[in-house]
Amino acid sequence: MNLSYTEEQVMLREQIQKFCETEYDFYKREEVVKSEDDFDANAWSLFAEQGWLSMPFSEESGGFGFGPVELSILFEEFGKSLVIEPYLSNVVLAGSVLDKSNFEGKVELIENICSGSMHVSLAYAEAAHSYEYLKPDTNVSDSKLNGTKTLVLNGKNASKLIVSCVMNEELSLVLVDTTADGVSFNTFRTIDEKTCAEFTFENVSIQDSDIIASGDEAKNLLTETINLATLCISAEAVGCMVSCYNKTVQYTKEREQFDQPISNFQVLQHRMVDMFIDSELAKSLLFKAMLEVDADSEDKFKHVSALKAHVGKFGKLSAQNAVQLHGGMGVSEEMMIGHYLKKMVAIDAMFGNADFHLKSFSK
Amino acid sequence: MDINFSKEDLAFRDELREWLANDYPKHVKDKMDKGEHLTRQDMVDYHKALSAKGWMGYNWPVEYGGTGWSATQLYLFNKEFGMAGCPPLLAFGVSMVAPVIWTFGNEEQKKRFLPDILDFNTWWCQGYSEPGSGSDLASLKTKAVKDGDHYVVNGSKTWTTLAQNADWIFLLVRTDSSGKKQEGISFLLVDMKTPGIEVKPIITIDGDHEVNSVFFTDVKVPVENLVGEEGKGWTYAKFLLAHERFGIAAVGASMRALNQLKEVVSELNNSDLDKKVAEMEIAISALEMTELRLLSDLENGGHPGAESSILKIKGTEIQQGLTELFVEAAGEYALMYPGAGGYGSNDKPSGPEHAAVSLERFLNFRKTSIYGGSNEIQKNIISKFVLGV
Repeated sequence: MNLSYTEEQVMLREQIQKFCETEYDFYKREEVVKSEDDFDANAWSLFAEQGWLSMPFSEESGGFGFGPVELSILFEEFGKSLVIEPYLSNVVLAGSVLDKSNFEGKVELIENICSGSMHVSLAYAEAAHSYEYLKPDTNVSDSKLNGTKTLVLNGKNASKLIVSCVMNEELSLVLVDTTADGVSFNTFRTIDEKTCAEFTFENVSIQDSDIIASGDEAKNLLTETINLATLCISAEAVGCMVSCYNKTVQYTKEREQFDQPISNFQVLQHRMVDMFIDSELAKSLLFKAMLEVDADSEDKFKHVSALKAHVGKFGKLSAQNAVQLHGGMGVSEEMMIGHYLKKMVAIDAMFGNADFHLKSFSK
Repeated sequence: MDINFSKEDLAFRDELREWLANDYPKHVKDKMDKGEHLTRQDMVDYHKALSAKGWMGYNWPVEYGGTGWSATQLYLFNKEFGMAGCPPLLAFGVSMVAPVIWTFGNEEQKKRFLPDILDFNTWWCQGYSEPGSGSDLASLKTKAVKDGDHYVVNGSKTWTTLAQNADWIFLLVRTDSSGKKQEGISFLLVDMKTPGIEVKPIITIDGDHEVNSVFFTDVKVPVENLVGEEGKGWTYAKFLLAHERFGIAAVGASMRALNQLKEVVSELNNSDLDKKVAEMEIAISALEMTELRLLSDLENGGHPGAESSILKIKGTEIQQGLTELFVEAAGEYALMYPGAGGYGSNDKPSGPEHAAVSLERFLNFRKTSIYGGSNEIQKNIISKFVLGV
């Protein structure tokens, strides 16, 4: 047994940390939020150059074949700095589906994702089926796609969508061009400052060559991908939790009231210790989950659920404590700390909240 | 990164399981499985069985007759024994006073005391807390005055676990009151048969006689029973407490309790309780991984420090939480405590078997967040050494 990161993994973390510290501070992030694209084209090219966009893809698809441990490292660091670049939607969600599929055109699409030249999103969610992704109402009949997909992350930047739907009475994943006839969308901002879209498909024509997978293959692809994405955003939550307590400790050491730093007060100390403990426990569950996913074990879904349930509950609690201990600063939009709370709410809401995963865990 | 144990570690685990299947004294196992109390003789039999196997010195270096086990082996030992429902090993001799003796004692003391601890010929108890000194242990007042070739001890100790069974006690005493309170404390080894020692039971809220008050009136202790230097006792006491924290996470025992709880709850059809049990299972998984992370760090040459306080805090919260869930699962049978035969009785009242012991455990386990440095003290430790505030 050895739970240390390899030298390469440590280097990867340092590389990402360096980017976050020097090129993605909170002011920079604010610029990106206010920009029209809702992502930073320069950062995105840099991600491509560094190879981060190719990280998890198999070598046959032109990737590095990195696993969930490396992805978790990346997301943990992104969580610490609240990076909003559309990595999850492109690389993890759309990319993983393609990479693990037998779809003929996948290599070209993955190449485009790796080079950063094309955005692809996975349209998995529907309003009527919260957290239940395997029985969508969106359907294809007579080669026409009809239905509405919500919460499509980075939808407005996507040239292609992978849409989950029912075709011939079984689950299917089809590739749709966002400029095709019959495709329309509205964009929204998420609570954590990302962009998402609601897409409506009206008689969009689907060719056989657009079908990525059907039946059990489609089910597996979607289930595996959502599980991996759940792991990734949970790792992001772990990063947020670490930052919440670090920043709060820092702040309470600097903030003086009653002629002394407020960190002198035991009631605040113990609250910060609770934040520290919860983040360490979250890290531990992350270790367990990422290693189970890496080993492709039978229990991998269960352990990802354990992690997600923990960060859903205690991540929010940590962020709430961070806000409370920052006082008025905690509720100021222009300060970073309150944005961790928004991020934790977003993470809990995605792919099953704490209650949902608690139930999945005990099944 | 590799979460799997090595072949050697797995072979070691098999050896542990073999002992538990064949050599774990049957009368002890039966009582433990039924949640009954053990007698002094049961405890002696259990410890002597471990001595016979050569495992009593489970956390000792080889040179003093210990196993010399690695951190991973120690972890597996704790986990397997916990999961098998074994009584926790009495720490006072083997894990507390022994490391102090081999680290700070002289050759004569090592020869005199260590072999009897390994063979469990002597039952030790711990003379630390006093009526006026709990978390602020250094404020202790029990006095030892040197008079020729012995010390004369006067004062009292409290919460002394199983002092009624003990042959010896290790004592923190004040030999000097002139300086800082941490200075002037000394570490004495005292034979419980010495005239002037009186043990009085304290009955705890679970009805058990586990702890005692121990009174010292002009107790004569030979000077050769002083460990190390006079006035350095506080250093030894802190060293000892660091040893005490090992195994405190009690992951194995909590996993066993969880499995029993799941069986009980599976018949109740209570979704609120199911949810709490799931949360508990996740908490145990997180605790176990935290212990493994610290272990891995240790085996890679790291020195995890105050982080191990997490194990104390969370380990005890989980132990207590489990007992609370058993009480919830008992429903209205939680009324049935204590047993029909009164305090300390092993008679079972009506209702399901799990309900009969649930309240007793719930009440007994309140101690876990208080002893070994209360959980609030542990938070102070993390606050000071990890957060740096």
